[in-house]
Amino acid sequence: MIRNLFVICVALCLALLGFFSLTHREPRADFTYVNPSGIHTLDPARMSWLQDFRVALNLWEGLTTWDPQTTKPIGAAAYFPPEISDDGLVYTFHIRSDAYWSNGDPVTSHDFVRGWRRAIEPGTSADYAFLITDHIAGAAQYVQWRQETVRTMSALRSKEQNDAMDSAIRACANQLPKRFNRVGLQTPDDKTLVVHLKTPCPYFLDLTAFATFLPIHRSIERLQLRYLGTPLTREGLIAFDPQWTKPDFHHKGYNGLVTNGPYMLGDWSFKQRARLVVNPYFREADHIRCRTIDMLEYENVSASIMAYEAGDVDFLTDLNVPYKHELVRLAQTGRRTDLKLCKVLATQFLNFNCQSDTVGGAKNPFKDPRVRKAFTLATDRNRIVHHVLASGDRIAHSFVPPDVIAGYTPPQGLGYDVDRAQSLLRQAGYPSGDALGTVELLVTAHSVRLGEALAGMWQRDLGVRVELRVQESKTFAQNKAIRNFMIARGNWYADYNDPTTFLDCLATANGNNDSGYSNPRYDKMLADARTESDPQRRAEILRKAEALIVKTDCPILPVSHSSELIAIKPYVKGLYPNPRLWFPFRSVSVER
Amino acid sequence: MILALTRRIFAGIVTLLLVYTATFVMVVSIPGNPFQSGDRNMPREAQQALRARYHMDNNWTFYAEYLTGAIHLDFGPAFTYSDWTCNQIIASSLPVSMLLGLLAILIALLVGLPLGVLGAVHRDNPIDFLGLFIVILGISIPTFVTGTAALTLFCVYLKWFPVGGWGTLRHLPLPALTLSLPFIAYIARLTRGSMIDTLHSDFIRTARAKGLAERTVIWKHALRVAFLPVLSYLGPATAQAMTGSFVVEKVFGVPGLGQHFVNAALNRDAGLILATVLVFSAVLIALNLLVDLLYSVIDPRIRGAL
Repeated sequence: MIRNLFVICVALCLALLGFFSLTHREPRADFTYVNPSGIHTLDPARMSWLQDFRVALNLWEGLTTWDPQTTKPIGAAAYFPPEISDDGLVYTFHIRSDAYWSNGDPVTSHDFVRGWRRAIEPGTSADYAFLITDHIAGAAQYVQWRQETVRTMSALRSKEQNDAMDSAIRACANQLPKRFNRVGLQTPDDKTLVVHLKTPCPYFLDLTAFATFLPIHRSIERLQLRYLGTPLTREGLIAFDPQWTKPDFHHKGYNGLVTNGPYMLGDWSFKQRARLVVNPYFREADHIRCRTIDMLEYENVSASIMAYEAGDVDFLTDLNVPYKHELVRLAQTGRRTDLKLCKVLATQFLNFNCQSDTVGGAKNPFKDPRVRKAFTLATDRNRIVHHVLASGDRIAHSFVPPDVIAGYTPPQGLGYDVDRAQSLLRQAGYPSGDALGTVELLVTAHSVRLGEALAGMWQRDLGVRVELRVQESKTFAQNKAIRNFMIARGNWYADYNDPTTFLDCLATANGNNDSGYSNPRYDKMLADARTESDPQRRAEILRKAEALIVKTDCPILPVSHSSELIAIKPYVKGLYPNPRLWFPFRSVSVER
Repeated sequence: MILALTRRIFAGIVTLLLVYTATFVMVVSIPGNPFQSGDRNMPREAQQALRARYHMDNNWTFYAEYLTGAIHLDFGPAFTYSDWTCNQIIASSLPVSMLLGLLAILIALLVGLPLGVLGAVHRDNPIDFLGLFIVILGISIPTFVTGTAALTLFCVYLKWFPVGGWGTLRHLPLPALTLSLPFIAYIARLTRGSMIDTLHSDFIRTARAKGLAERTVIWKHALRVAFLPVLSYLGPATAQAMTGSFVVEKVFGVPGLGQHFVNAALNRDAGLILATVLVFSAVLIALNLLVDLLYSVIDPRIRGAL
């Protein structure tokens, strides 16, 4: 009996292995890279991760794109530059006559309107919808109307008034075309797109390269979810079957994902691999050296580093490992020339709660700007950045990173001055640190080292009791959003190449103003900058606004400007380290 | 027999329902927004629209709708990975984990059983101590250490296997071996213990008195009885191995189901949490039932008392 059991076991083992070895495996791609956190979505409107943007911008092509070396906007699907009216409010784009989708269809201006409209529809719930609603005339009003109709529908549904709901959906569907016509997007012909802006936007051509502004092929309309024959769902939303991003999804005449960039999606298996192959209809398809690209997913960054060392992978980005400081040292001392540090447009900072009187039952002393200033002055950023974190970041004295955005030099914020810090605390009515009570510092598990260093520093220099609250990231995010903290770690990654991507966060009504800071003077300066057409004067206004934040009011404490570590095999040519971590694969060649 | 089986299946369904309800309560009561990603806060309107789209705006209807879907084996969309349905995620990852888990259990049986038997027969001899040493290593060293050590030695230095990933035969041996180590240890210990008991029982003395060869006594008569505790351990062990190990999958970059247990919870992905928990529970219940059926095949005394 036992012998039989063994025979069965061995036979099963062999059968399993035999079956497994039969599964088909394609040959290695021309170029292989690892996407550290994997693809969250391939729907460009719904993306919020850099890793997803990177894949999308190789699959699709917007009106403009970024030069991989200078990250300045250059031409893409439209001729460059577009016609811009003298007041800077009207942009006329002419789509290239040789721009084609991967199924051979020509790219039209309607494809862009379709993509942009999808991005602002409440049913898409795009994180970056604001890039369109903030800039394009009439878009915010359209979205507001759509949100109201969705709320009405939701109220009717919860009262189970089905007849009223059905007629509300029909009425909304009837009004849709008329309402959307008021948005400042016009298509006089198939190849011309006229965009009306709300206010002049000096970085608009930078925005049009972003994933939210990508075109969408018309075949998606076959997958639109419809209720009562209207283009709306039962909830009053405009939504599509989420399977549309699959290359092999065939349904109701839909023949898989169609894209207009240098590559198209050949194959995508969840949490394993995505294979990009050259789009044969792309205008420069014949000049693209890497015909196939494999994007692999490794849950574990260390394993991807081992795969790189073993030669299975050609390129790695975002090497955030616990031993990053060791890798940074190897890169900085020149012992590993394949490891490169990219200064990125990102700032790690601390939010002070400027609004709530109490936090968790305790009095919140950080409502007083003098206390916030004292804590800022008592922070030795040199020690934190170079000795505690040591991950190649730069010391931050401003919110906007210096020498990355052309034409803008951020002001120099407060330095390290313990005496001044102590006297400010006394002025604020706290003769000793004890008088402040226990100060809570909220961090995630990833930034415990930073939290411990700060707590130690403040305890030593100001004599305050600091309690570190370490929370798992989702719980942390929720507490931060509802302002249940005294001091909380923050991190901001620029969305576009302009200081306002940082400074807008601290405007009074901004949804990302976690500190709850509100100063009418600051809001006024941001509004003035919006209407200022002279670039130099605009930069000066923004500089003054930023100075108010980092020198006087201190709602945030900038700690460091981040750097990302990437690894490029020496035989890979045409990849350039840049602050946006934008790597177009069409210019890459592999000379093994 | 049929009646007993029906009763067990019915009990299994009730258990699944209880597991579903308990998980559901936990899922809706933990803080955190499944739809937010990264450092950017989500506008309240967008959040409401998404909750409406996933029918999460009312817990009671969500409970009922998800349950109805689950009964029809449709676990709905995944919230974090909106391009995929939970069914697609499970369909792509469960076979990977099952293959790896089954292999690991088979290896564990092939190694663990003889190790346990040898330990019992040569009790307190060097062979026994060697077995004990292997067992203690298997139990006490966590798989993220053994896995990383194996990866470094065999993939980076010796280059015998590719570093992580999935898809070819060469990707299999290291994760399967790593995953099997703790199971080898448990099986060996269980076998040794029950073998020692069995070897002292009357029927073994009778078998020896009959003049049977020692090999036959041990491997045929004694092991058959001593195997029973191992068998009852195999049910939950196989369920555990086949539904994926987060650690082994993470170390070797294996796209199995184990990672989703942890990541779905971290992402607050209600749909995927419920789907993974239900799949795991169903596999566990089914395998326990299978083990009980096998029991009656191996041990005639239990037949009828299912």
